[in-house]
Amino acid sequence: MSISASTRGAGQGRLAGKTAVIMGASDERSMGYATARRFRAEGANVIIAARRQEAIEALAHRIGARAVPCDIVNEDSLSALAQVALDDFGRLDCAVNYAGIEVQSSILDITAEELRRSSDVHFVGTALFIKHMARAMAQGGSILTASSLTVLAQAPGHAAYAGAKGGADIVVRVAANELGEKGIRVNSIAPGFTKSAMTEAYFEMEAIRRAFLKEMPLGRFPTVEDIAEVALWLSSDEAFVTGQCIDVTAGQALRRVPLASEFA
Amino acid sequence: MNGAGNGTGAGRLAGKTALVVGAAGGGNMGQVIARRFAWEGAKVAIAGRHKDVLDGLAEEIGGVAVPCDFTSRTSIEDMVGATDRALGGIDVAVNATGWGLLKPFLDTTDDDFDRMTILQLQGPFRFLQALIPVMERGGGGSIIQISSATATIMFHDHAAYMATKAGADHLIRTVANEFGHLGIRANSISPGVTETPMTAEAQAVPGLMEAFIKGYPLGRYGTSDDIAAGCVFLASDECFMTGQNLQVNGGLTLRANPSKADIESSIQTALQCEGRS
Repeated sequence: MSISASTRGAGQGRLAGKTAVIMGASDERSMGYATARRFRAEGANVIIAARRQEAIEALAHRIGARAVPCDIVNEDSLSALAQVALDDFGRLDCAVNYAGIEVQSSILDITAEELRRSSDVHFVGTALFIKHMARAMAQGGSILTASSLTVLAQAPGHAAYAGAKGGADIVVRVAANELGEKGIRVNSIAPGFTKSAMTEAYFEMEAIRRAFLKEMPLGRFPTVEDIAEVALWLSSDEAFVTGQCIDVTAGQALRRVPLASEFA
Repeated sequence: MNGAGNGTGAGRLAGKTALVVGAAGGGNMGQVIARRFAWEGAKVAIAGRHKDVLDGLAEEIGGVAVPCDFTSRTSIEDMVGATDRALGGIDVAVNATGWGLLKPFLDTTDDDFDRMTILQLQGPFRFLQALIPVMERGGGGSIIQISSATATIMFHDHAAYMATKAGADHLIRTVANEFGHLGIRANSISPGVTETPMTAEAQAVPGLMEAFIKGYPLGRYGTSDDIAAGCVFLASDECFMTGQNLQVNGGLTLRANPSKADIESSIQTALQCEGRS
């Protein structure tokens, strides 16, 4: 009952009057799009951003949002993204970053190129996202970024991914400590093994599904809507929370990430 | 948040039954949580030691008063049973009891530590044991333990309190891990220093609360309303979190509580200012 994913409250204006930027919303199965839709339902003006303009324009149109192309590894495009919020809506209150790429390699085979690619997106990108969003938040606000289960429990092959995400979580804490006096809260959300555009291929493999589900105390996979719900609460004025990494892993971080040998 | 009246809020807990223990002190955190739950549409049972206080709040929020001594296993079991019968199940349970003992480590007696353990560690243990079968029967539920930032960060002369709060957090993780499959979620919330009756004495000392402010990146310390908001979030069906210790304290754990010397100098400064005016 209390873990049902199907019951989502209708909008109650919990973000009324706010303007939100949501980065990484280029697919209708993404956490970014689920968050954008939820934020719109709660009364926020929403700007969705991602690299591919066509993809976000269609999605933005569906929910009455603005679409702005942006690449998180390009600092100019991040500052331009924040500027759109100020130009179009006169303010920026909430920013959520889900931009991410898949990087998997065993530590024995890992390359400098893989480490740098992950670092550019997940570590440098996140830090610059926080910088430019915070600079635009004249009235205070909330900044969120996606962390990962792999930061909380060791996932084989994820040194480049988790290392950069974990570094970003430290940036979140340092930023929260610095930005608190401006009324800006900074937190991250660590999703568990969530069915999204990025992970859909894994969900088609029954052995992987089963191995992960076994490690989830709540007995079901997190959904993109679960993540959106936490993003909503953290973005609302109700959350006297800053510098935290919020675990939405179905309790999996209490257990472990299965080994690849168990998928066979 | 003006919490009076049942169900006048956003209905985020509509149709739910909730038990809040530690709500028998006028204006304490448990009372604020209970009011907010009722405001969000929950049917609320409030528990604690002082029946007259409970009766007053029960009448105000249209709830049920259940006297309970949280240091007694029998009393805890009776409270859970009585609430179950009165409300027809328990969807949400909050433990907001506590005893804010401040005593130098070397002066803390076995008796102090025993009392603290019975209230703040055995109490939650017994409460969780009593709740799980009831929640299993109802198909699940959300359990919320009010912890403390000091279960993670330091404060002087507070060892027995801090250690038992940290222990209760680990019980919460255990329940999350072992009973999640029943639809039971268990989390704790850690406030920092909060204006409540528990800290009334401290608030009355000039300069004392000011010493804490520097530890809060957001520039203020918390209120019971902040904690109640966190409880509504963790209690609602939309929250897919379990086994977590949620820091609802404005970033205090990024910094620190004031040291003894910080507090003394802040009090001195305040007294000097008072003397001049």
